Amino acid sequence: MKKNKKVVTSTGVAVREKPLGIRIWNNRGYYIMFIPVLITVIIMNYWPMLGIRYALYDYKPVGTPKLIGFDHFTKMFSTDAFWVAFKNTLQLSIMKLIITTITSVVVSVFLNEMGNLLAKKTLQTVIYLPHFMSWAVVASIFSLLLSPSSTGMVNGWLKDLGLIAQDQAGIYFLAESRWWRPIFYLINIWKETGWGTIIFLATLSGINPELYEAADIDGATRMQKIRYVTIPALMNTIVTVLILNLAKVMNMFESVFVLYNNAVYDVSDVISTYIYRQSFAIALPNYGYTTAVGLFKSLVGGALVIICNQISKKVRGRGII
Amino acid sequence: MKKKLVSLLLSASMVAALVGCGGGDSEAPAADDSNTSTDAPADSSASTDAAGDTAAEGEGEAAASDYQLDTLNIVVDGTLTATLDNGQPEFEAQWEDAVAESLGHPVDLVIQQLDHSGYIDAVGRLFAGGDYPDAMIMPAAMFKQYAPTGLLWDMGSAYDNADFQERMALPSVNENLKDSQGRLYGFAYGYGNGCVTYVKQAWLDAVGLKAEDIKTYDDYYDMLLKFHNEDPDGNGTTGDTYGVIAAGFMGNEAPWINYLPEFWQDAFPAIYQDESGTWVDGFQSDATKEALLRLQQAYKDGAIDPESLTASTKIAREKWFSNDQTGAAGAFAYWAGTWYQTLTDNLIKNEVDADLVELAPIQEIKDSWGGYLNREAPVWVIIDDGDGDDAREQAVFDTLIETMMDGDKVQTLWTYGAEDVHWSTKAESFVTNPGTENEKSYEYADGEFHLKPSPNDSNTLWKKNLIDPALVICPLTNGFEDTSELASEGNKFFTENCVDAPASPTSETYTNETGNIYDAQLACITDVVTKGGDVDAAMETYVSTVGSTIDTILEELNSAE
Repeated sequence: MKKNKKVVTSTGVAVREKPLGIRIWNNRGYYIMFIPVLITVIIMNYWPMLGIRYALYDYKPVGTPKLIGFDHFTKMFSTDAFWVAFKNTLQLSIMKLIITTITSVVVSVFLNEMGNLLAKKTLQTVIYLPHFMSWAVVASIFSLLLSPSSTGMVNGWLKDLGLIAQDQAGIYFLAESRWWRPIFYLINIWKETGWGTIIFLATLSGINPELYEAADIDGATRMQKIRYVTIPALMNTIVTVLILNLAKVMNMFESVFVLYNNAVYDVSDVISTYIYRQSFAIALPNYGYTTAVGLFKSLVGGALVIICNQISKKVRGRGII
Repeated sequence: MKKKLVSLLLSASMVAALVGCGGGDSEAPAADDSNTSTDAPADSSASTDAAGDTAAEGEGEAAASDYQLDTLNIVVDGTLTATLDNGQPEFEAQWEDAVAESLGHPVDLVIQQLDHSGYIDAVGRLFAGGDYPDAMIMPAAMFKQYAPTGLLWDMGSAYDNADFQERMALPSVNENLKDSQGRLYGFAYGYGNGCVTYVKQAWLDAVGLKAEDIKTYDDYYDMLLKFHNEDPDGNGTTGDTYGVIAAGFMGNEAPWINYLPEFWQDAFPAIYQDESGTWVDGFQSDATKEALLRLQQAYKDGAIDPESLTASTKIAREKWFSNDQTGAAGAFAYWAGTWYQTLTDNLIKNEVDADLVELAPIQEIKDSWGGYLNREAPVWVIIDDGDGDDAREQAVFDTLIETMMDGDKVQTLWTYGAEDVHWSTKAESFVTNPGTENEKSYEYADGEFHLKPSPNDSNTLWKKNLIDPALVICPLTNGFEDTSELASEGNKFFTENCVDAPASPTSETYTNETGNIYDAQLACITDVVTKGGDVDAAMETYVSTVGSTIDTILEELNSAE
């Protein structure tokens, strides 16, 4: 008769492990509680994954899906618009991540240095607020502000300052390729910096005050304290935030969708907006093709997660998954 | 590590098992590979579910006249103006009463009204989910792509034998929709209508111009420049107004050029049949290049509102009739007929001088097309359940389309909406815009047909429901008529100055590649117009991007002729 292996309990006592069936029975309460979760995960997370197979099918709103092998992938890799979207996705996401992280760190440090608690709290609240506005509202506001017509506030200022001649047409910030990305980053900074400071402020509040006291004794200036105490203390959090967000770079959609237009597809079109147009802007879309593009996006996203996990292990000593 | 590997393998096997489970044919949403209408087009069970009645009732044995439709599921876009907050429940109830009286049995009408601007997308999702209605409205370009799929029922015979043929005033509208074998997959209840150019009379007066003097493109362009440079809104600042605004330099559906016809002139930037009957890509033509250069110049000169690039139709028209005319434009090409009244109403509501003039087509348009383009009409289509029996589809035709053209009660509902909600024949009086300078009183005697104030806006008179009485193929026989003077004038003006737009193509490759072609066209247009790029270089890029695809489409179309 096969002997059950020994296990050590939390109290350090070595006991023989009971058979699986008995263990399940003994813990039946937990398993019963787990059933709804399991069912939900299967239905909500795994069942939709059945749709992956349509990447290999010619699948339109009408008619039976036809198996066509890897034709969609062949078409996808030979389409310029796809590669433009892929390149833009990486560029926009990574740049946005770097810029918003840097601004969040800078703002956090400044907030941390503020002595007046009321002013600090008020400023924090003010910079958090844009995060709670929907992207559609943000896009409407900035479209009005940046309008090239005579009603656009920014172009009005530029004309008043003499940077644009009065009889010259205004700059169409959201429809000119050279302006679109800087504006996109600026809007992201405005909207997300405040929210991004939360985690850094939490870290800053946890820095041992003795380090600052020691620095004071050594005669460090405020800037030196920031450079030699605050920033090093934040580094681990900065790396963590970067790594965690790097895994999500392929998921960019809403912020681009509400701000882009056909004049700037070359610098703004991302994989998700490309999929959207291919799926929903034509009468008889081929969902098979868009599934293939979506699958490719997911695979790249998955690879990024694994890479980030490895980097995390090396940098922080533990993975993120 | 071992545990992780095991859990990874377990997850992978779970996914593989699920994928395997779902791979059966039972999941297939619709059944048609043949591109012929006689084959089974759609999952009949899905269709039955959507209809809410049992297809089994009519399977095989029932003759068309015996089939009794209990529920009629329809999908409509925003052209059904009796929306949920604008009297749709009353319309639905009165339709059910009138149809029950007409057919001798009750029919439950279920209306699914989808967002107008996202209609194509929403319909695609509906079908992909296996949710098929009995009948639905399709815009022309969408219809052309669905017609060969086998999803739509060939109503040619039903149409030919319909009772309303006796009263048919515009037979050519549907005859033109039939294919070479006489099959009719969609029923147009009216002709398509099109856009005309409206100009603000006050702006013309302010810059010292008369509409009747705008005869050529040069005259038109001069007017636009004056609107930009000569302070037509009288706010003391020049250059803060524009000549014309449009929702895009090129429309997003056929006939593509109708929002800026004076610039496009003889160009048709899409695939169409030329005079010889050969399918060609009008986008690559010299006429399109010249049109792009005209648009480029206008963009540079401020003759065209730069926001036309990104404006939707809603944004364009709201900017045009906004209360603050700074930043607005003087000219706007928009739909003829009822919209003449609607635009005027909105100008009044916003306290802007509401006198509008319809600009006659300029000489260049007359010399090329002959007039403004009358778009291909939207149609009602009936979904074929693919059971090989036409009984259910014929019943849908009889219940929906035959009654819709009855000339009396049901047609009135589709034309004007619900009685005593949207219109009435009872004696009454009411006032719109009370207490303002636009206050207007209405008084009607008993028995006098008249439109009432809109259910959701008591200051605006209701105009029509789905069918425009001026465009309908079979007129009402009950004498009900209360079209506003402006709408009638607009319809008359359009019909006197329009020609039919070229027909949209139907090709498998075109269907698959529409999105890429449209993207390439927009890239070319914006490159030239807003970025001031070289037109030949932009056209070369267009050809290198989608040229081979276009060639394939043209080959398909021309070999099919």
